[in-house]
Amino acid sequence: MSEQPYLRVANVTKRFGSFTALRDVSLDVDRGEFVCFLGPSGCGKTTLLRAIAGLDIQSEGTIHQGGRDISALPASMRDFGIVFQSYALFPNLTINENVAYGLHGRGLKRQDIRERVRSLLDTVGLADQGDKYPAQLSGGQQQRVALSRALATEPGLLLLDEPLSALDAKVRQHLRLEIKALQRRLGVTTIMVTHDQEEALAMADRIVVMNVGVIEQVGTPHEVYSSPATAFVADFIGEMNFVPADIVARGEIRVGPDLCCECETDGAATPAAATMAIRLEDIVLTEAGTRDKNHFVGEIRDLEFLGSFVRAYVGGEAIGEVTLRADISANLMRRLNLDIGAKIPVALPANRLHVYPKD
Amino acid sequence: MATVEAAYGAGATAPAKPIKSKLSRDDYSMRGLIVVIIVYLAFALILPLALVLTKSVQTYHFTLDQVEVEFFRDGAWVERATLADWVERSDYEVNHGLRASERTREQPAQIIPRGARQDIEQFRLRDLSPEKGLILHAGDLSDSDAWIEVDRREFARVQIRPARSYGLGNFDHYFATPALRVSIVNSLTIALITTGIVIPLAFAYAYGLTRTLMPLRPVFKTIAMVPILVPSLLPAIGLVYLFGNQGILTPLLMGESIYGPIGIVMASAFFAFPHAVLILLVALSVTDARLYEAATALRASPLRTFLTVTLPGARYGLISAFFVVFTLVITDFGVPKVVGGQYNVLALDIYRQVIGQQNFQMGAVVSMILLVPAIVAFTVDRMVTRRQVALLSARAVPYQPKPHRQRDLTFLGICSVVGLFILGILLMCQLAAVFQFWPYDLSLSLRNFAFNQMDGGGWASYGNSIRMALYTAFIGTFLIFFGAYLVEKGNGFTKGRSIFQLFAMMPMAVPGMVLGLAYIFFFNDPANPFNFLYGTMAILVICTITHLYTVSHLTAATALKQMDPEFEAVAASLKQPFWRTFSRVSMPVCLPAMSEIWIYLFVNAMTTVSAVVFLYSPSTTLASVAVLNMDDAGDIAPAAAMGMMIFYTNAGVRILHHIFANRVLGRTQAWRMR
Repeated sequence: MSEQPYLRVANVTKRFGSFTALRDVSLDVDRGEFVCFLGPSGCGKTTLLRAIAGLDIQSEGTIHQGGRDISALPASMRDFGIVFQSYALFPNLTINENVAYGLHGRGLKRQDIRERVRSLLDTVGLADQGDKYPAQLSGGQQQRVALSRALATEPGLLLLDEPLSALDAKVRQHLRLEIKALQRRLGVTTIMVTHDQEEALAMADRIVVMNVGVIEQVGTPHEVYSSPATAFVADFIGEMNFVPADIVARGEIRVGPDLCCECETDGAATPAAATMAIRLEDIVLTEAGTRDKNHFVGEIRDLEFLGSFVRAYVGGEAIGEVTLRADISANLMRRLNLDIGAKIPVALPANRLHVYPKD
Repeated sequence: MATVEAAYGAGATAPAKPIKSKLSRDDYSMRGLIVVIIVYLAFALILPLALVLTKSVQTYHFTLDQVEVEFFRDGAWVERATLADWVERSDYEVNHGLRASERTREQPAQIIPRGARQDIEQFRLRDLSPEKGLILHAGDLSDSDAWIEVDRREFARVQIRPARSYGLGNFDHYFATPALRVSIVNSLTIALITTGIVIPLAFAYAYGLTRTLMPLRPVFKTIAMVPILVPSLLPAIGLVYLFGNQGILTPLLMGESIYGPIGIVMASAFFAFPHAVLILLVALSVTDARLYEAATALRASPLRTFLTVTLPGARYGLISAFFVVFTLVITDFGVPKVVGGQYNVLALDIYRQVIGQQNFQMGAVVSMILLVPAIVAFTVDRMVTRRQVALLSARAVPYQPKPHRQRDLTFLGICSVVGLFILGILLMCQLAAVFQFWPYDLSLSLRNFAFNQMDGGGWASYGNSIRMALYTAFIGTFLIFFGAYLVEKGNGFTKGRSIFQLFAMMPMAVPGMVLGLAYIFFFNDPANPFNFLYGTMAILVICTITHLYTVSHLTAATALKQMDPEFEAVAASLKQPFWRTFSRVSMPVCLPAMSEIWIYLFVNAMTTVSAVVFLYSPSTTLASVAVLNMDDAGDIAPAAAMGMMIFYTNAGVRILHHIFANRVLGRTQAWRMR
């Protein structure tokens, strides 16, 4: 028996009356891992986090933490620290008192508490703000205090519930780097709930993509981005072209009237209607092309300038009614010198194509 | 680790079992405390009220055919007959033909004519009823079929009690008696007329305060709140001085008497006015300025703007104010007690039936009838208030009135008239209190403050009132806030929490008279283990806290709802007990709300009459009750003086509270500053 996962969620279902918020969810999290629950609002990610925290205990299923069955334990008997989107800092206590709040009743000396608070605030760069009240700090500073307070008791598990959502974009980007660095340094197992895919991609070791109460995919940021397991994941993370297609044979699909593409079809039945998907940046516009599979002659229908890149809307006789969106770097754009109406060979690389069952 | 593996395996194959959450120590303590407060409210509210219902369906009648009498003559017991037989033989009218009540007694010595028992030295009686207890002799009730022997002298003291049965007989009697029935119409008439007068005036007054730039707005706001600080008896006394037989303004009534509906309506309007103003001030200050800009842009006339924007915006406030005033007036008994004259109303009937006639059953019947309009009004008000919350949360631009000379002067006029009426009545009471004998001897004197020489308990009752108000304010604030905390912040235990919510809302629907009567029934029963509370200060405090529970609970709950719901989750994750978060965070953050509850409880405990009038004892007389009793005894000037003492106290405490709120709260709430 090799190493046990630190946290094991097994067959967890949560019902609120007749509504099922989580449906038979199972998940393992390793010690020291940073896992993000990602999904649209109402997908059950916060419900799962609250079940793990014991704040809203699941209707069915078990949760083990560090080998201990915590399925039915109330929050106060579990081992975790939590940070909420609202920070939930006690407004009438100073920063020092907030951070020290959980250190009471642990048999610590006053002096030890003071030092621990100081070192925690030092870590998040707020050592000189200890005597202020939360309302006197900026949102980002408040969130750091909330983080220090959650970490003060050295919990085995850190839960972050949309911790950055209430902050400005600039502060958010800065703070997410900081949280990630702190987490790596402390090695605390962390679960963060977010609806922001960019945040999840940037911070997580693994991402758990959720939708309507079930887990759609679990994988590293790279996996969920480049090999989305379902059309939902493909659509939710990053930008993706979705095109109706037919699987004509094993490993071969047809798009529109006249474009055949080789690609992985994963043993889907043939023939069958399907949906082909390709990322905007994976479409290759070439200067000189071959008339082969995975290629067609495209026509630029429209161009959209988006700063560091240009988004081209590409049609073509071979693909019929369909218009594909393709992102072209500013660099390539200069070389191709494209204009609306221009004809250009387009390649859809086989290893970049995804095929999903038609929904 | 093997066990964990096994557990996983089992979880995967066996059908999933619903998880039942284990309870933490906090959960146990919070649930326990919720149950404690539920039990408290059950004993302080629900059980007493249930007794009122029970009493109202208890009927009493004499069952004289179940009492047998024999005479001892010539060494033998002879002439066995029931008392019913004797009634027939002697043509006796039982209880003078009146309905029997719990306290009615009959005497065999009255029923059996003197002539028929002239030479009898020994009598014996026996009780044949299945329930027993019909014969009362030497303090003992009959408890078996055995004969009770008495000599001639004792025979005159034997009493027969009526038998009890259950049914709607009391209600039948109530509705069949015009003198009782008329109170329903009278009460509704008074309440509707008063409401019809108060609401437009309060609306205009609140409009003047919020929507115009008339001068002296803060002064007018303060004046409007003055009636809250005095018992409802005081305006009635003021009216007696102003419009009574020797009143300076009596000619204004053009021959009508102030004692009756006119006086009741005027005094009721006085004490109900601030409650309507408070509600309408809120309603009028939440309206969105953008609607007025839109109306102006669309060239709506001022009248049209008023009808289409102002009135609809305040409609929930208007409805709420209507029902609050209606309930206050219909349940008040102080005003009709003083200026009601021969005009009977429901609340006063309860008092008269209980205190005057000792007819508890009929008092209970009137209570049940009085509960109907109070509950209807309460229900409608709750429904409306719930809707208004949605209006408040909308992001609106506050309305800023612009100067408008004609409008400002108009509202200054309206507010001045109302303000003069309020201050006039108060001033009248003040003058009556400090002059030797208004209006005949206008030399200044403290004679009227020599309460110790009058009925009503003297200065001790003033001291009792202060003590009662302080106990009520301190214990009540803590109890009610703590209860609200448990119910707002506890986990699970949905059933217990909904029962709590229900119980906490009920006191508002229960008129004070009904609560007081319920307390007599409940606590005055020697079989009740809480009987020892009867006649103590404690029962006055319990009754007053219960009577004022709802409004205080709502204030506390609103304040607690505004706190981040995640505080408790964070505290649990930090393994801190709930009482630490309660005392370190919830209480300090909610200190302003708690101080509001405190002053509300104090002021109302000082002025309340209705609930406590049944409950005070010679050692716990209260100032407000003293006003009532002195007025009853004809000492009207001292009654006014005592009423003014209550006013001085409440005004003083209000001012101290204001200073406290500004200074101390300002310091402890420093964290609110950015």
